Amino acid sequence: MGYVELNVLNNTAHLPAIGIDLGTTNSLAALWQDGRPQVIRASGETGILPSVVNIRDEGEPLVGRVARDQAVVDPENTVFSVKRFMGRGLADVAIDVATQPYHVSETERGLVQIKLHDRKYTPQELSGLILLKIRQDSCRALGVEGLRGAVITVPAYFDDAQRQATRDAARFAGIEVLRIINEPTAASLAYGLDQRGEGKVAVYDLGGGTFDISILSIEEGVFQVLATAGDTQLGGDDFDRVLIDLARAELADRMSPQELADPGFLQAVRLSAERAKIALTHDPETDFHMIVPETGLRWHRTITREEFEQRIDSLVARTLDACRQALSDSGLSTGEIEEIVLVGGSTRVPLVRRRVEEFFGKKPHTELNPDEVVALGAAAQAQVLVGGTRDILLMDVTPLSLGLETVGGAVAKLIERNSTIPCSVNEGFTTYADNQTGIDFHIVQGERELASDNRTLGRFKLTGIPPMPAGMARVTVRFHIDANGVLTVAAREESTGSRAEIEVAPMHGLTDDEVEEMLQASYEHAKEDFDARRVADLKAEIGTMQRATEKNLEAAERHLDKETYEEIGEALEAGRRIGSSTDLAEVQAVRDRIEAATLPLAAVLMNDVAKAAVAGKKLEEI
Amino acid sequence: MSTCPSCGVELETPLGCAACGALLELGADATPFEILGLPIGYDVDPTDLRKRLLRFSRLVHPDFYATADEALRSRAESGSAALNSAHEIVADDARRADWLLRALEGPSETDERQMPQEFLMEVLEWNEALEEARESAPGSGARSALTPLEETLNAERASVLAEVARSLSPTPAPGAPALTETRKRLNALRYLDRTLAEMRALRLEQAANR
Repeated sequence: MGYVELNVLNNTAHLPAIGIDLGTTNSLAALWQDGRPQVIRASGETGILPSVVNIRDEGEPLVGRVARDQAVVDPENTVFSVKRFMGRGLADVAIDVATQPYHVSETERGLVQIKLHDRKYTPQELSGLILLKIRQDSCRALGVEGLRGAVITVPAYFDDAQRQATRDAARFAGIEVLRIINEPTAASLAYGLDQRGEGKVAVYDLGGGTFDISILSIEEGVFQVLATAGDTQLGGDDFDRVLIDLARAELADRMSPQELADPGFLQAVRLSAERAKIALTHDPETDFHMIVPETGLRWHRTITREEFEQRIDSLVARTLDACRQALSDSGLSTGEIEEIVLVGGSTRVPLVRRRVEEFFGKKPHTELNPDEVVALGAAAQAQVLVGGTRDILLMDVTPLSLGLETVGGAVAKLIERNSTIPCSVNEGFTTYADNQTGIDFHIVQGERELASDNRTLGRFKLTGIPPMPAGMARVTVRFHIDANGVLTVAAREESTGSRAEIEVAPMHGLTDDEVEEMLQASYEHAKEDFDARRVADLKAEIGTMQRATEKNLEAAERHLDKETYEEIGEALEAGRRIGSSTDLAEVQAVRDRIEAATLPLAAVLMNDVAKAAVAGKKLEEI
Repeated sequence: MSTCPSCGVELETPLGCAACGALLELGADATPFEILGLPIGYDVDPTDLRKRLLRFSRLVHPDFYATADEALRSRAESGSAALNSAHEIVADDARRADWLLRALEGPSETDERQMPQEFLMEVLEWNEALEEARESAPGSGARSALTPLEETLNAERASVLAEVARSLSPTPAPGAPALTETRKRLNALRYLDRTLAEMRALRLEQAANR
């Protein structure tokens, strides 16, 4: 690590800048060491962290293998594949939600929330927990106290909301994001394809939940993406689902609809589907089986690779449609592609390899571990960003066109898909009514003609335009897609030079204020949780004391002096008034007052017990 | 060509200085040609243009300023964005011609909406064939008739583009009456590009429905 410049102003300069592959199924980190990127792993470990989160009763999170182990015993509170929910609305993820055992809802701005125990979590927070664990594990393995920052990868086809959600997740994990880069681009970097000279390369990346195809031109160390296409809801999870549906269909006559939707059953079938899929990579047939001890369910059947391939063929065909699209956009034919790189665990499926080879007419590269290649590329990019090397440069593109809704509901495209980023466009607008001080905008991303058929990135209102006759105001709005692929919007009123304000309420996302608030809440959360439990305990105690006192007070009244009697009454009254107070100090004080006030009563009662015993009465008759 | 304010060396691009590495503030009125260090004109060598994009990207790309202060980072973002959009305009024959036409105060596409006369009859024919293909089922005869049509349109595009190139090089005088004819040809070019894009989409759709 002798390349890092010493920066006296920045005391994190000596800390490592890592690359993180935040995957649907697995996540891992890598670091540039000794002239090449290497996976960060503690000795004896793989470094691979399953992207699974389980929330315990007390709100304590488990992440990784330990969380996955909870899948069958605590399915309602165990979340797999949270990446598929990032920056999405409920309608987008309906197919995923249908087979999830936990409860998923949506806020009015379309932000998905997952209920685990009695708290709702956003996908950003859950991904943040995975990133936090990656951060902690990396620091431990590297023996450092912190990180300078990280390059985090996302599918190339991720839209603005999904990229922003990833950035917000990093904030929850306390990670400084050096850059968000695209997974296929990172993979091409890891392969060091620039060392082979100039050429055109296709990266086919089929992960657990997403598919990307990127066509790159490599020249003089510059990796320039020419076109990208994909599907952010297509991956190995969908291969699993094919098998899950098969099992559920065959079990339909043995189980009730409720049993088929049972969380424990769903997790069990999901795990055995995954097992069968993996086995079929090497074996021509395998045993697809399930045992759920709780219900006494035993089921098994043999599945051949041929049958599995028939069932997933249409899914694989969808990836090839995207390949055709990307080739068409790049203006190239399959014959002009010199190298093909396979990335993502799902490219281990033999059918996928066969179809890709048939399509491009060439044997794809599979030398590097498809699970590690993305993190390795991210680490190489991190090395560039901290100034370690200028030999390589990534020039990526925006995967989707950006536009504004016009008056008729159509889309006016501002930035075409596959434009090299960073890119910006300035667009002029004016007012249509006298003294109009605001203009409404609806920003969409996608390729369809109608605004309503595309994805809404946000709506914003431009305010603060000085009052003037219609058509006189000249407002310039600047849309800028930065090197992370994230959109920012700025506006200026030209005739007066005043800067107009913009508030963008992101769809399926969090505002900066919301992230800040949630971060604050999580700092205070631990203490709050503790306090809340203590208040609840104290209130229960007050209730017990009240009932006991009220029951005995009448009988004991004649043994108590007036002052003591009145104090008991007042203390009980204070107990009744405490109602829904959550103030720990206040509740504690009331509880202590009741205890102190009723001490004399307790003494009298004890005395009565003694007398009763002498009189031969039974205790319960007192 | 101006010189670098920090080291005095002659600049190839106003974006920055290759000699001393200074990242410069780009003026709001810099033209795409100026940004790419090229003289204004229709004739451009695509290989040279591409080398310029890569060379200048190495000067201004935000990746090389990731740990710099906010002001420098944002200068790299906007400089890089300006370079990319300049390249997009200059690298695309139709967009480069359109930019020149505007710079030469020729008619815009709203001032002059016509296409060349000889072109119109053919457009009617092509539209009909395309309409038929659009409404027919994938795999039908009308769909397979698209391939020869696409070839015809591509040949037509090449000939229209050649006429545009002839009319713009050498660069005509600003406001020259001949610019109206060039605009009409650009309108034809736009029609051809839109139609060809739709044919590509239909072809992809057909492959997807296989």
